[in-house]
Amino acid sequence: MSKGILTDVTKCIGCLQCVSACKEVHHLEADEPRIWQKNDGLSAENWTSIITKPGNRFIRKQCRHCLEPACASVCPVGALHKTKIGAVVYDSSKCLGCRYCMMACPFGIPRYDWDKIVPHVEKCILCYDKIKDGEQPACTQACPQKATIFGERSELLKIAHQRIKENPGKYINKVWGEHEAGGTSVLYLSDIDLGFLSYPTNIGNKPLPDKTKTAMESVPFAFVGMGGVMLGLNWIIRRRMEFAKDENKKKDSADE
Amino acid sequence: MNRVRNTKLILWLISGFAAAIALNRFIFGLGVTTNLNDRTPWGLWIGFDVMGGVALAAGGFVITAIFYIMKREEFHPLVKPAVLTAFLGYVAVVFSLLIDLGLPWNIWHMIIYWNPHSPLFEVGWCVMLYTTVLFLEFSPVPLENFSRYARIRNFLMKYRFVFVLLGIMLSTLHQSSLGSLFLIMPFKLYPLWYTSILPIEFFISAIALGLMMITFESLLSHWIYRRKPETDIIAKLCRAVVWVLLTYFLVKMIDIIVEDKFAMIFNGSWQSFLFITELLISTIIPAILFAVPKFSRNSKVQWTGSIMVIVGVVLNRIDIGGLAMLGATGDSYTPMWTEIFISLGIISVAALVFLFAIEHFNVWDIQPKEPDALPHTLPSFDYSSKTWLGNPDVSSLTTHSLAFVVSFAVGMFLIPGSRLHSKGIENVKVNPASGFDTLFINGNRDDRFVKFPHQAHIAWLKDHNVSLSISYGNNELSINSIDSCQACHHLSLPLEKQSNCWQCHSSMYTKTNFFNHDWHAAKSGANLRCKDCHTPAETRSLRSAKKCTTCHPSYKFAAEVKNGKEKFYALSYTDAMHDLCVSCHAAESKKLKDKPNLARCTTCHKTYPEGSNGLPESLAAGLKWKINPPKFNNVILPEEKLVK
Amino acid sequence: METLLNFARGPLFRLCFALMVLGLIRILFLDVWAALKAFRKTDDKRMPWKLIFSRTWEWIFPFKRLKNNFQLYSVISILFHIGLIIVPIFLFAHIQLWKESVGISWISLSYSWAFWLTTGTIIFAVSMFIGRLVIKQTKLLSRKQDYLWLLLLLIPFVTGFVCANLTVSPATYHFFMLVHMLSGELIFVLIPFSKIAHCVLAPLSQVISVLAWKFPPMTDDDICTTLNKKGAKV
Repeated sequence: MSKGILTDVTKCIGCLQCVSACKEVHHLEADEPRIWQKNDGLSAENWTSIITKPGNRFIRKQCRHCLEPACASVCPVGALHKTKIGAVVYDSSKCLGCRYCMMACPFGIPRYDWDKIVPHVEKCILCYDKIKDGEQPACTQACPQKATIFGERSELLKIAHQRIKENPGKYINKVWGEHEAGGTSVLYLSDIDLGFLSYPTNIGNKPLPDKTKTAMESVPFAFVGMGGVMLGLNWIIRRRMEFAKDENKKKDSADE
Repeated sequence: MNRVRNTKLILWLISGFAAAIALNRFIFGLGVTTNLNDRTPWGLWIGFDVMGGVALAAGGFVITAIFYIMKREEFHPLVKPAVLTAFLGYVAVVFSLLIDLGLPWNIWHMIIYWNPHSPLFEVGWCVMLYTTVLFLEFSPVPLENFSRYARIRNFLMKYRFVFVLLGIMLSTLHQSSLGSLFLIMPFKLYPLWYTSILPIEFFISAIALGLMMITFESLLSHWIYRRKPETDIIAKLCRAVVWVLLTYFLVKMIDIIVEDKFAMIFNGSWQSFLFITELLISTIIPAILFAVPKFSRNSKVQWTGSIMVIVGVVLNRIDIGGLAMLGATGDSYTPMWTEIFISLGIISVAALVFLFAIEHFNVWDIQPKEPDALPHTLPSFDYSSKTWLGNPDVSSLTTHSLAFVVSFAVGMFLIPGSRLHSKGIENVKVNPASGFDTLFINGNRDDRFVKFPHQAHIAWLKDHNVSLSISYGNNELSINSIDSCQACHHLSLPLEKQSNCWQCHSSMYTKTNFFNHDWHAAKSGANLRCKDCHTPAETRSLRSAKKCTTCHPSYKFAAEVKNGKEKFYALSYTDAMHDLCVSCHAAESKKLKDKPNLARCTTCHKTYPEGSNGLPESLAAGLKWKINPPKFNNVILPEEKLVK
Repeated sequence: METLLNFARGPLFRLCFALMVLGLIRILFLDVWAALKAFRKTDDKRMPWKLIFSRTWEWIFPFKRLKNNFQLYSVISILFHIGLIIVPIFLFAHIQLWKESVGISWISLSYSWAFWLTTGTIIFAVSMFIGRLVIKQTKLLSRKQDYLWLLLLLIPFVTGFVCANLTVSPATYHFFMLVHMLSGELIFVLIPFSKIAHCVLAPLSQVISVLAWKFPPMTDDDICTTLNKKGAKV
């Protein structure tokens, strides 16, 4: 039931139809370069972008919709959450603007309305309203080359591996998003290395939320434990002081 | 004996300045008042104010643990000031959070929307609860002054042990959870700092910092009020901190060795230098200093040592909160001066409240008085009725509030208005297109050249005998092949070589105001011709002026044609070019079945291999024009045609 | 010239406006504080609130004063105040500036209203100036400050009037505009530190004069100040 997107870098011609379709569907405004934007094309008004790499390679950047999203796990009010259908969606009415999601995302996806007085987090939501009703996201619908396609994640994986098998030597034998950070709903097939889509340090194949899990699970123990230790310490010290007092008294009486 | 007054004066000045900046932050948003950006969404305010602030307030739980739990009665004089510092520290943290959060009015959402997986959720709750607990812990002190509330005070005193215990438990949680915040970012945080035992390291360093913060705060406030510091008690704290620092050092080193990162410390990168500096200041040097018994009793060493630990541990928080991430994010974030002053301002306000509390409540065993609040100072004066009102207690408030007002005004003065009003849009100058017949347009130098064969476009217009009809105002203009130049050009007429597109559309993404009022005024006869453009009975403004096209009918304004409104600016280069090219291309691509991609971005925007002088090698194609210059001599200028 | 104008319109205006607003708040706060302190020290805690209110009312809307000797002068003073307050706040051009910089706007005066109010204010200010010089009693009561203030308030009104209504060359226009802005800003700065502070302190002045009566002369403070021996024990 988990939907996803497969983007085949070799097929993309960089026509930006997906970008303009996305803008239209989500009523995003025209994008002007702002001082707070960083050159990957994503912005509060651009939920997906095309990165151009040498050799006319075009890579579409968008939210990866991780299977276990770091952003959703760190949001203190649960404004971000992973839906059953696969999209990681954002509820602006809950958000308090802490921007922890932006810090935690291993792909550096969420963007912020820095210029607004009532700012929200902006990112691709896999056209949740559309896919809920059984439609396609706007971007895959708009793609003239079928370079980016929408479907069940498991089926997309099958398609991807089939393409690699059928065209030996055309692709790098890896489906980006199959395992990274516990797997993502948005997958890539490519003939060039796509390491630049995430941070340089290897993010590993385990879901990121696991890293805080141990710390968070030990919270109640630490809380009660510290209380216990403190009470115990206090009890011991008081006992000792009483003993000392008694001994002093005894000494005093002995002296007398 | 003006140390107190001067200290307060400086604090008032800084807080006034910060208040002005804070006001602007709430009017104009975070983007233009800070250097925060999409890659560094957490800056100085989180790294220093929140993370550092919470750590700096650790003195509260440390001293209560020593005094109430371990029953070390000799520390009694330090307890109340330390609890007060902790309370004010937490209030300061909350305030800086309110400034940093994008939607501060939603901060209470943490109470109703729960996400227990999030470390920040836990930190938020703990800070909320602990601030309340600290309030309850401290409130008996001010309540002493009000006999009315004796019952509440007695109640609070009775359950003080419970509050203390709760306070320690809560502190343990969130001091360590501040470390857990960064466990999810192994990809960002430099490996020297990243470790799965971050929470433990945070907790231990918080204890050390707490001890040193008590020391520092005690030394500083005694210095301000010219009292003799409690050197003997402080010496005990200094000896205790050696053990804590030693534990911290060992835990950190063992972790680094176990995770096989030891070589990284000396790999020569700036992060390794930062790490060494941080470790030296925060741990090694102070531990060595205080380990010598003679030194630990020396108040000068106490000063140095405590400042070192404070600076070092806060530096550690700043490193983890952002500085050590810059390598991975590739960003070059440096806090804007506004951010720095907000941080300073929050500290100043907290310090002022601290001084106020010390002077008015029984925080110290002997309550200090502000030296100038003597019984017979100049009487206060009412400005409106010119009456003297007897002895004021507010004489210092008069100067201090004036300082606040003046520095607020100076803050408003210094705030860079151009940045505030820019909406964060970069002003990218347009680079003129290069080439001859074939132009290579690369306005913002992002190397996706647009190859524009001018001659081909002219030829196409001729061949198709295009008759474009453009209407502006009441004029309808039909253009056919011979003067088809006007289909694309307006101000830039073919023979008027000195004005190119980019001269008016001079900014890549922002509008340019091209109307030169002075020039028009001078040209039209200076002093007596205002009425030519402005309606006489109205206030003179752009709104009441005549339209440009009333005098210059040949100026084709894309904006006017579209919305029926006249704008007094040139569109941005991108908008102008896109309006011009895309509209025509889109219309044609619908007509021409064989060219469906005509209106797509990549049809025009292509990456060409670059030649030697920044131009594509295929420039040679453009040399056509040079060999075969087009003849425009018999073109009738449209303006002459129309004005008739 | 443009840069100077922009400077006066931007940073300098922010500086002066902030000084005025906060300065007035400060003075109001200090006055209330001092009044409270004084009230605490009095033995007689009764306050004739009704009297204070009616007096303040009279003070702000001085229609009753019209019955007394200087009828013309009082009328002129009231009319002068009306123009003085309304024109700067509701002038279209001023609102336009606010709209451009912060994005807030409110209703504006029509051109003719603005014209007549400005003209009126200028005439009334001049006549008040003459009145202060001619009428014997007012002349005795006037300080230097009072004359200077009338003149200072005249400058922005006259220059504003020139800019809005007369046809002058661009250079002269800019010069007048600059003088208009600078003098206005000077007034902003001086307001909280001079007698013009009565714009916020007016409601308090009656309270304070009542309070002042509760302190008979020759109390310890007064002795100390007259003797110039601050800090001496009485």
